[in-house]
Amino acid sequence: MATGSSTAGDSEEEFEARVGLRYTVERILDDTSARISLYVVVLITAVATFAFVDSTLLDYYVANTYWHNPLSASASARPLLPPVGLTNEFGTGTWVYPLGTDTRGRGILVRLVYGSRVAMQVALVSTVLGMVLGSVVGAVAGYYGGWTDDVLMRLAEVVYSIPFLVLVIAFMTVFGRDLTIAMIGVGLITVPIFARLIRSEVLSVREETYVEAARAAGVRDRDILLRHVIPNSFAPVVVQATLQMGTNILIVAGLSFLGFGAQPPTPSWGQMLSQSRNYMLPNPWFSIWPGLAILVTVMAFNVIGDGFRDTLDPRLND
Amino acid sequence: MSDELLSVENLKVQFETVEGVVRAVDGISFDVREGETVGLVGESGAGKSVALSSVLRLVDSPGRIVAGEVTFRDETIVGFEDDSSGNPVPREEMLTDREMRERIRGREIATIFQDPMESLNPVFTVGEQLQEFIEINRDLPPKDARDLAIDTLREVDIPQPEDRFDDYTHEFSGGMRQRVLIAMALACDPSLILADEPTTALDVTVEGQLLNLISELQDDYGTSFVWVTHDLAVVAEICQRVNVMYLGEIVEQAPVDDLFHDTQHPYTEALLDSVPRPDRTTEELTPIKGVMPEAINPPPGCRFHTRCPEAREACRATNPSLKEVGGKQGHRAACLIHDAFAADYEDSDPIQQDEGSFGEQLRSAGGVDE
Amino acid sequence: MSRIRYTIRRLAQTVPVLVGITSITFFLIHAMPGSPVEVMLGPTASEELIAEARAQYGFDQPLYVQYLSYLWSAVQGDLGTSLHYGVPVTTKILERLPVTLLLLASSFTFALGIAVPLGVLAAKRRKKPADHVSRVVSLIGVSTPNFWIGLVLIIVFTYRLDLLPATGLVLPWRPPSEVSGASTTLDVLVASARTLIMPTIALGTLQMAAVTRIERSSMLEVLNQDYIGLARAFGVKEGTILRKHAFKNAQLPVVTIVGLQLTSSLGGAVLTETVFNINGMGRLIIQAIRAQDFPLIMGTTLFFGFMFVIGTLITDLIYGYLDPRVTYEGAN
Repeated sequence: MATGSSTAGDSEEEFEARVGLRYTVERILDDTSARISLYVVVLITAVATFAFVDSTLLDYYVANTYWHNPLSASASARPLLPPVGLTNEFGTGTWVYPLGTDTRGRGILVRLVYGSRVAMQVALVSTVLGMVLGSVVGAVAGYYGGWTDDVLMRLAEVVYSIPFLVLVIAFMTVFGRDLTIAMIGVGLITVPIFARLIRSEVLSVREETYVEAARAAGVRDRDILLRHVIPNSFAPVVVQATLQMGTNILIVAGLSFLGFGAQPPTPSWGQMLSQSRNYMLPNPWFSIWPGLAILVTVMAFNVIGDGFRDTLDPRLND
Repeated sequence: MSDELLSVENLKVQFETVEGVVRAVDGISFDVREGETVGLVGESGAGKSVALSSVLRLVDSPGRIVAGEVTFRDETIVGFEDDSSGNPVPREEMLTDREMRERIRGREIATIFQDPMESLNPVFTVGEQLQEFIEINRDLPPKDARDLAIDTLREVDIPQPEDRFDDYTHEFSGGMRQRVLIAMALACDPSLILADEPTTALDVTVEGQLLNLISELQDDYGTSFVWVTHDLAVVAEICQRVNVMYLGEIVEQAPVDDLFHDTQHPYTEALLDSVPRPDRTTEELTPIKGVMPEAINPPPGCRFHTRCPEAREACRATNPSLKEVGGKQGHRAACLIHDAFAADYEDSDPIQQDEGSFGEQLRSAGGVDE
Repeated sequence: MSRIRYTIRRLAQTVPVLVGITSITFFLIHAMPGSPVEVMLGPTASEELIAEARAQYGFDQPLYVQYLSYLWSAVQGDLGTSLHYGVPVTTKILERLPVTLLLLASSFTFALGIAVPLGVLAAKRRKKPADHVSRVVSLIGVSTPNFWIGLVLIIVFTYRLDLLPATGLVLPWRPPSEVSGASTTLDVLVASARTLIMPTIALGTLQMAAVTRIERSSMLEVLNQDYIGLARAFGVKEGTILRKHAFKNAQLPVVTIVGLQLTSSLGGAVLTETVFNINGMGRLIIQAIRAQDFPLIMGTTLFFGFMFVIGTLITDLIYGYLDPRVTYEGAN
């Protein structure tokens, strides 16, 4: 896959650039749906980061000053208002609360914005955790094979065979129901997925002649893993990580729905859905917005993940 | 000609890719007569397989047959005419897809593919697949088709055919699988068999056995063959006439003996020089310099001029057409050397074939991109 | 003969996995803060009462002894008594299991019944409108939280249209006397269907979407194979190629994916049962965890693991049936 470079020396870097980040991003930007999804993800990340900063570092200064506090309703707020322009038994929607209010009179839009933080934070941390730990486990299992491999893979199978929701809930019941534990819990159940992925990459690379040659030349195992195996498995890991973000957001939402996510009054999308259950008849909109937020976010990650897969793995053409 | 079976005239097949139009087959003409084996020789990428697929009208998209005539007996498989705006459109008498499927494919013209591992369906037994093809193309009921299938397996020297009938593909060795493919082609009793490098993937000894088998069968049944290969030894052994392809064009066309002993095209010459020949003692082999350029951007003029030891400036300007040479009937070559009327060749200077590094040659040949 | 041996060997392989599941669960729940006895008896219980209860349940024994005695009873079919419900764990499980199994069976049928034809169609009509529609539908299907689908369905069909009940699941084999408003078996069946529709769609959508995608891509991959080209070259009709030559080959990765879907749908069942107030295994395990009901937690997790293991076994067997290349001799 040489490109038209003028000296032999340049070609290696150009080659990497071809398959690397810049090229991939260019290809993504070419495809309309992928481009839109990229914007969506960037937007939501920005929103979540803002929410994170404002809630943890600024103690909701921005929310309180320029908007509404997402944790408690203002005295004049009315509960279960519909979105602006509609009327229900609780009143008429206004622009103050464009998407309506929840059971306590808190704005749904502002809670969605601040709720994004929980979703993104847990998904990000857990995916990274799963990716890093999983890669190590998978690399070790694949490279050393034999007994280590068997044990690790059986372990992975056991973790994988218990419905993840149940496992995380059990994990959180044991270690505490807070966000950090949730992140670790979801991360742990993500480990087997990445472990299996890396392991199969390692297995196929291990058989390559150049690895044998490297070994014969005395290169250390660790270096072989780092310099040959990891770069080659880069592509499927990126694809999986992106898709995993989407999956983990769904898991977090499920956990929050069951009461195992962020604890009230911290807003989270799943928990908002749980609250909305009792009021579906009078104000169905309360049930719709958070679900829509989840749908759009996860869909964006899925489209990008698919886009990465198409670009980085041309074998799987379509 | 009365015993002309297949006639291909000026066939052009193109592929539309993101990077441009690939002219995989760019105007080739050849024919096949009853009972003869015609070779189609060339390096990888010359367009041989595409040419074969076109005969059955099974070119995979994004490929399209854009021009030319392919006639089988008196049926038109491919034929174009110009419409009112001068654009070529398929002619009316061209066989419909359905007619192709029911009358031609498998029935009159059968195929033998290259890779028997991939060409047989892994989830069905060999017998089931063979039987199905026979049922479709010989119009026999299942029981008779099965009997015929077993008989054909026996004919291609597969031991214990009744038992092997119920075996799956992965239970056969490479050579055996290829025999199955041959059996499929034969059992359907076609007039013409298109063989796409059927022995390339096999060891020499197995190859030898199969070539013998095919010769025998040809004698028994009188089937014609179009045999695609890049192996000149095979050509020498079984073909009566040969077409040499380079980058989508036929550059030399001759009876087999003439091709080897009275070579008229520099490319054929170079090919022959680059392989060891049992009938000559060679001091050293001379590989052809450079690599074949990509069909997406062929060199101007004669396509071989970039690698031809006889190239002159004139070759860059004109693309020679296939003309009779050497005063012999049936021997044609596409080279300006023979063009008595093209004084340019004589007058122009030889092109300095740049040695250059391999990489540079790659680039000048149009680059290697993936 | 070898298939039977293979099945037995696979079953034997499940034992270490099951042991693994039990151990992890056991030691995990014993790490839970608070003793279940205290939870059960309440904050006003006296010291002696607590100690008595602990002895009664065997919680005063060393951990490994508890573990081994549990395993021993489990093998004999005794999974202990639920602290929360006061009945044997097995009773509770058997009470709830049919419900979840019915839900799972229904959602899988729904999912596969739509996904397989849709995926094949999308592959056949590649790049045409039908393909694009199926891709969008799958994309939405894998991105939507299943409990939200449930909520939306309830909003539309229960609250707006008043067509379907929002809670409960009627088992179709219940006698009419036990089902309110039913006088004949047909009534029971109808009631069962009505309660089953929405949960099925909610739970099955994710499966359906995922399987559609894999079905489509698998068909496309298979259609590119040489043996398909050969069949065409021999005049086989397109319809036959799709149905016979391509289909069976394409199902292999699909079967694998469906097997993997097993765990995710068990997790999904937890959410679906919560939304629709269905008393199945999913809700049971959540309730057990909340109540810190050790024996019940152990029993239900064990059961989940068992179901998963059986599921993978069935998947492997189906795969082996489809693909003659799978040898029954020798492990991977």
